[in-house]
Amino acid sequence: MGPVHHELAGEPIFAPMIQIDMEIKAFVSAWRHCDYVSTYMARMISQNRSDSVRHSNLFSSALNELLEVASRTRHAGGDLACRVSRHGATDRIELTFPCVPEERQFYEEAVSHVTGTEARERYLNSVSGDLAPSREVVLLELAVDYNAALRVEEADGDAIKLVVDLPLEGLQH
Amino acid sequence: MSPYDLLPRFKAQYDANNQEFSIAGVVRPQAIDELGPSIALLRDAIGRVRGVLYLNVRRLTQMNNAAFHAFSRILIDTCRARPDLKFVVITSSVVGWTSRKFGRLSGIEPNITVEEYDSEFYPGQGFLEEGGFVPILRSQTKMTWRHERAILPRHGMRQGIVMADICCGIGDFAVLVQKEFQPSRIVALDHSISSLNYARQVMREFDIRGIEYTYGDASEMLLDEAQFDLVTCRHSLQIFNRPELILKELYRICKPGGRVYITNEKNSHCLGEPRAESIRWTYNEVAKLFGHFEMDVELGPKSRRYLMEAGFEDIRVETFMVTNLDGDPQDFADVIAAWADVYAGEMATRRGDGPEFVAQFRQGFEDHIFAALHPKGYAGWPIWVASGRRPQ
Ligand SMILES: C[S@@+](CC[C@H](N)C(=O)[O-])C[C@H]1O[C@@H](n2cnc3c(N)ncnc32)[C@H](O)[C@@H]1O
Repeated sequence: MGPVHHELAGEPIFAPMIQIDMEIKAFVSAWRHCDYVSTYMARMISQNRSDSVRHSNLFSSALNELLEVASRTRHAGGDLACRVSRHGATDRIELTFPCVPEERQFYEEAVSHVTGTEARERYLNSVSGDLAPSREVVLLELAVDYNAALRVEEADGDAIKLVVDLPLEGLQH
Repeated sequence: MSPYDLLPRFKAQYDANNQEFSIAGVVRPQAIDELGPSIALLRDAIGRVRGVLYLNVRRLTQMNNAAFHAFSRILIDTCRARPDLKFVVITSSVVGWTSRKFGRLSGIEPNITVEEYDSEFYPGQGFLEEGGFVPILRSQTKMTWRHERAILPRHGMRQGIVMADICCGIGDFAVLVQKEFQPSRIVALDHSISSLNYARQVMREFDIRGIEYTYGDASEMLLDEAQFDLVTCRHSLQIFNRPELILKELYRICKPGGRVYITNEKNSHCLGEPRAESIRWTYNEVAKLFGHFEMDVELGPKSRRYLMEAGFEDIRVETFMVTNLDGDPQDFADVIAAWADVYAGEMATRRGDGPEFVAQFRQGFEDHIFAALHPKGYAGWPIWVASGRRPQ
């Protein structure tokens, strides 16, 4: 697939590349699923990047963290959907997973910190801090180290959708 | 649990001689206690060392935040408790995220520093990675291809295979293979960014598909184990001072039952008529000159031993001679002229050779060109091809 650049009313159109759907119960039943899914998807979508091996390594690194976040959900029912689409140098991950209302609120707040100017400082503080890494660190790291843009979108039912735009192709070398 | 779950995916080691703790592989635990033994090893190492502890993460391909936090916690706490101790984290430029992630630590504790390390065991790097070699490589591959296209099928090349070309240079070989044999996938790796850029540009211009160029270090590749039916490494083992390390990696990424194919030279056996004596003298000197820079351009006939020692079976060795009669003799002459430029130029200068030596050295190349272009002349450049099968 060549780079497709559609522009519609300013909002770029992302071409779908791959999607994985799974019952959340099945997904969280084995921790290794995060690793499997991130490695597999990274490999599939990186083949036509300029450096497939490096791209796949970086993408897997980012996606695995997001999947680990989903895997820690406190909600026991529903589905996980992970979709990757592409616009030019940017790959978009849309991760939808069930969560309880407090978690939803937590993600909404976390994402608002990520987009703020203090993201970098918050990230450094959390690296040097004593506490085990929170789910917020993951999001901060994506923004600070991977130049990702993040947002939270509405999803049906007790679910949340994290949308992460990763410009990895431009990040190399 | 699937059998896959039982495979250890990472390895931690401590080397007391070098005060080096290394961790390699994929580290993605759910809970920190899965790291217990590695963490204990690190703590133990910290207890023993004085001065500097090296933390080698060059082959760490993945580490999740949970694990990163556990390890960095130990480093940070140690820095606070023991100001006498320094940590040097050694990363590789090949793994995209490690330098950045570990680099954060040095911002927090000045006693932690991060060094991006790329193979030092390749002393000739300067001569061969810079742009100057590109035209030589192009003509060389054009000349060797006439022979290799017939030879390759005897060493495992077939349609539809998954192959890797390690130390691919500017990618000509990969392109020729793609056209002639149509493997289903080619991964081509090199450590020269300028060569890779060149290769990618060629791929775009000619709309070539199915080749993935990747930046990497042949001695420590990000590529997974056992994934290629055929791994080629051409004219490159001979430029490393420890070729066995590269072969080990080629073996690792090759599927059991697949083959590793290498080509190398024995420069002192380049020949020509007329003016044989002068030509022979110069190429003997070429071998010595490369030897001075710890490169063994006499490696060709040693291929069999290297492959055996690396654990391969069903080893096949053959030789072919590129000559002035293969195609246009001018191509042959051009390659010799390019060798003369680099060998009697930059390399001789770097070794500190005097003008008298350089003049005689250059004369041999000129005589080789003379032989190549002479209507009754003959000029040759012998190549050793060898391949071995990775046991099942
Ligand atoms: C003599 S050239 C051979 C190139 C190509 N195979 C050919 O036959 O034309 C050696 C190549 O090895 C590459 N190289 C050197 N050190 C390397 C390393 N550590 N990892 C990967 N490639 C390396 C150089 O950039 C160069 O392209």
